[in-house]
Amino acid sequence: MGVNDFDLGLAAAALERALAHGGEFAEVFVEERDGLTLRLEDRRLEQTSGGRDFGAAVRLLDGERTFYAYSDEVDEAGLTAAADAVAAALRGGGSVAAPVVHLGSAQSRPGAHPVVVPPETVDVRRKADLLRAADDEARAAGGEIAQVIAAYADARQRVLIANSLGEVVRDDRTRTRVSVQCVARRGEVIQTGHETLGGSCGFELLGQPAVLGVAREAAGKALVMLGSKPAPVGLMPVVLANGFGGTLFHEACGHGLEADAVAKDASIYAGRLGEAVAAPLVDAYDDGAVVNGWGSAAYDDEGVPTQKTQVIAGGRLTGYLYDRLRARQVGAQPTGNGRRQSFRHVPIPRMTTTYIAPGDATPEAIIAATPRGFYAKSLAGGQVEPASGNFVFGVAEGYLIEDGRITTPLRGATLVGNGIDILMKIDMIASDYEVKSGICGKDGQGVPVGTGQATLRIAEMTVGGTG
Amino acid sequence: MFGLLDTALECAGALGDADVEVYGERSTSRRVKVYGGEVEQLTAARRTGLGVRVVRGGAAGYAYTSELSPEGVDVVVRRAFEHAAVGDPDEFVALPEPGGVPADVDPYDARVEGVSDDARVELALAVEAAARAADPRVKTVEDTIYADGEGEVFLASTTGVRGSYRASQCYGFAYVLAEEKGQVETGISFTVGRALPDLDPEACGAEAAARACRLLGARKCPSMKATVVLDPFVAASVIGVLSSALTADAVQKGRSLFAGREGQAVAAAAFSLTDDGRHPDGLDSAPFDGEGTPSRRTPLVAGGVLQGFLYDTYTARKAGRASTGNGLRGSYQALPGVHPTNLLVEGAATPVDEIVTGIERGVLVTDAVGVHSGANPVSGEFSVGISGVLIESGRLTTPVREVTLAGDLLGMLRGVVATGDDARWVPGGSILTPSLVIEGMAIGGT
Repeated sequence: MGVNDFDLGLAAAALERALAHGGEFAEVFVEERDGLTLRLEDRRLEQTSGGRDFGAAVRLLDGERTFYAYSDEVDEAGLTAAADAVAAALRGGGSVAAPVVHLGSAQSRPGAHPVVVPPETVDVRRKADLLRAADDEARAAGGEIAQVIAAYADARQRVLIANSLGEVVRDDRTRTRVSVQCVARRGEVIQTGHETLGGSCGFELLGQPAVLGVAREAAGKALVMLGSKPAPVGLMPVVLANGFGGTLFHEACGHGLEADAVAKDASIYAGRLGEAVAAPLVDAYDDGAVVNGWGSAAYDDEGVPTQKTQVIAGGRLTGYLYDRLRARQVGAQPTGNGRRQSFRHVPIPRMTTTYIAPGDATPEAIIAATPRGFYAKSLAGGQVEPASGNFVFGVAEGYLIEDGRITTPLRGATLVGNGIDILMKIDMIASDYEVKSGICGKDGQGVPVGTGQATLRIAEMTVGGTG
Repeated sequence: MFGLLDTALECAGALGDADVEVYGERSTSRRVKVYGGEVEQLTAARRTGLGVRVVRGGAAGYAYTSELSPEGVDVVVRRAFEHAAVGDPDEFVALPEPGGVPADVDPYDARVEGVSDDARVELALAVEAAARAADPRVKTVEDTIYADGEGEVFLASTTGVRGSYRASQCYGFAYVLAEEKGQVETGISFTVGRALPDLDPEACGAEAAARACRLLGARKCPSMKATVVLDPFVAASVIGVLSSALTADAVQKGRSLFAGREGQAVAAAAFSLTDDGRHPDGLDSAPFDGEGTPSRRTPLVAGGVLQGFLYDTYTARKAGRASTGNGLRGSYQALPGVHPTNLLVEGAATPVDEIVTGIERGVLVTDAVGVHSGANPVSGEFSVGISGVLIESGRLTTPVREVTLAGDLLGMLRGVVATGDDARWVPGGSILTPSLVIEGMAIGGT
């Protein structure tokens, strides 16, 4: 039993039952997910785990209220119980005329994110061997590599979304990813380095050269940081490298553009459309349609086609990221940002691939123009409070900039600041645009996201270190 | 459910000689979110699933499914066998033998069953109302949640492990925004228990509001070396990071800064830490762990001296000792791994007022962002963004924000000079901790 065998008649019946006591919009979300993960550590392929989840959720919207029920029983009994649970939760609605839901034909966009080699057709042994090769490659980078953790994951997620507007959408998503973490040791000093490669595509992404490159990158980061000195403390210019540097925009700005925070006036970007929120040289986008992007899909988890949304144009705020619920509340169009981790989660506004558009400087010119500062080559991750805009990032790989040159590696650094303040202080952007893949957590839901950026400079930012 | 587990074991028996363990789970839960005095979201959930672990020729494989039909069970068992064929063999990989009498703790409170949706909504509304009423500067209560759940887990293996237990949990939560002169600050609080009547919604709402309001007017402070007081919320997040280095898994894989230091002083004498899987009030208490090993109490640090580590079956066999009952699973989708149960920070209870009075210059830290990204449990280095209140000449003065707290975890543990009298449970890891007072910390500001 799977999504492809699912009887649409069950969905129509569940939608009608869900609306029995009123409500403005009902939706059935059916999900089938087959996943495999492998993990190598301590020179040993120690975990091979995989599984299958098949479940369905019924959602009912009434004004600003959401009622949601889900179950692993994807049959008439399971869907009826879920539909009745949401209908019963909507009390005070009284009796209404029995709604009739006519479902149209299913829409899909096959080929929006082409899969050349479906991972499920590749022998698990080949995936295991890929990790063993990555382990060897990372250890070959230097005798000080003390530990390598290499992980592989693929998943095929098939969803069917049917709603009371009569819309039916099917989406078939395949994601593949490897990550390598290295631990390097010199005497008492221990440092780590991490690198990933992932996409909405098949096993073709993970050719041997690409995976070995990921392993070398991770090992290189750990090794270079062995020679690091404690980072200084204080205000200074910060140059953020391309790729992982995009986490800055994701945290400092992106979360505040998600329409749930905006709707509750819990975002520093609420009510500021058209206002300057960044330096004039900043253009920024969220794009859920990037072909084969890790954060991409053909449709979001509410059946809305994904799209490219400009959020900042010439430093001015031009848009927010909407799901259906928040778009309805303010009369905006949904932007294909209604995402959920699984059928066990309510869809909420989420980023997809979010990025600051490249400029025309070169990374070398930016470094050369910085007499003294901090170069953040790789960020470890960060957090933000959308309400205040305060954010913090850990720096995985950082360097001192002296006399316009990158010099000593620095460890233990954190970048701390406030969203709009920092975006306003961007004064140079290079052309070396790159995207990195990650998992973004919000409200207990993890979804795949891309963060993109070219090398850029922030004129002044707080660096927190121990030196 | 045991019938299903036995079916799986029978399927496995037909596939060849192997040790097989089947874990089953069923649960129901409800979650209510309110906003502006109205229900914003109500979720009803049912969850069932099965996980199968196969050990064959010294290699382990795992597979899980939410499809409990005969075909679903057959497929999941076959996949577990396929996965076992890929793994690298290791002499220490094995399923546990029955480990004795389950711990005497009952994590289930039958009162969880009688709670109506009306009562759930009412509790959440009470949290929100208390937050709004607490201070006129409360701008909005962005998130107010009540959630509860009850469930049952089942475990059966070819090595003779067989057991099940029920558990229940509930919590209330508030996330408050306060505003003054255009500046917004945030505060959270929780109330946790095994059933709704355990919760204190008024205290939860009022505390979240107070935590947000006390930060209004915050600004950067100068960089300095100072004494910090980590309140229980912040202390718990630091303990959470620390605990990952106290697992035998991290030690054996060279990822722990505590490796080889058993019997040595790794913290100041004022600091003690214990894992207790059978604490009567602990939300992570259970009769046995995810492998069927009875839960127990394991001292980790006593009077500053490292006592030992946490073990599951695999790491215990590798170390030539017994499992401490810390082979835990997040769900049927996850393999057992070494994780803490309930962590208890124990120490002399010094009144917090007295602590503050004794500090010439310091910061009371009430919020730390980036603990998980900014703290490295391998190297022990950390640098996190903090908010709190300055302590000057023994008095709490101006609120601060956008400053960093940096150092290394061992140095920090050695700097613990006192523990407060305000110990409380902090969820998200089930940690019981008082405020921690630490000398000589680097604050990065202007």
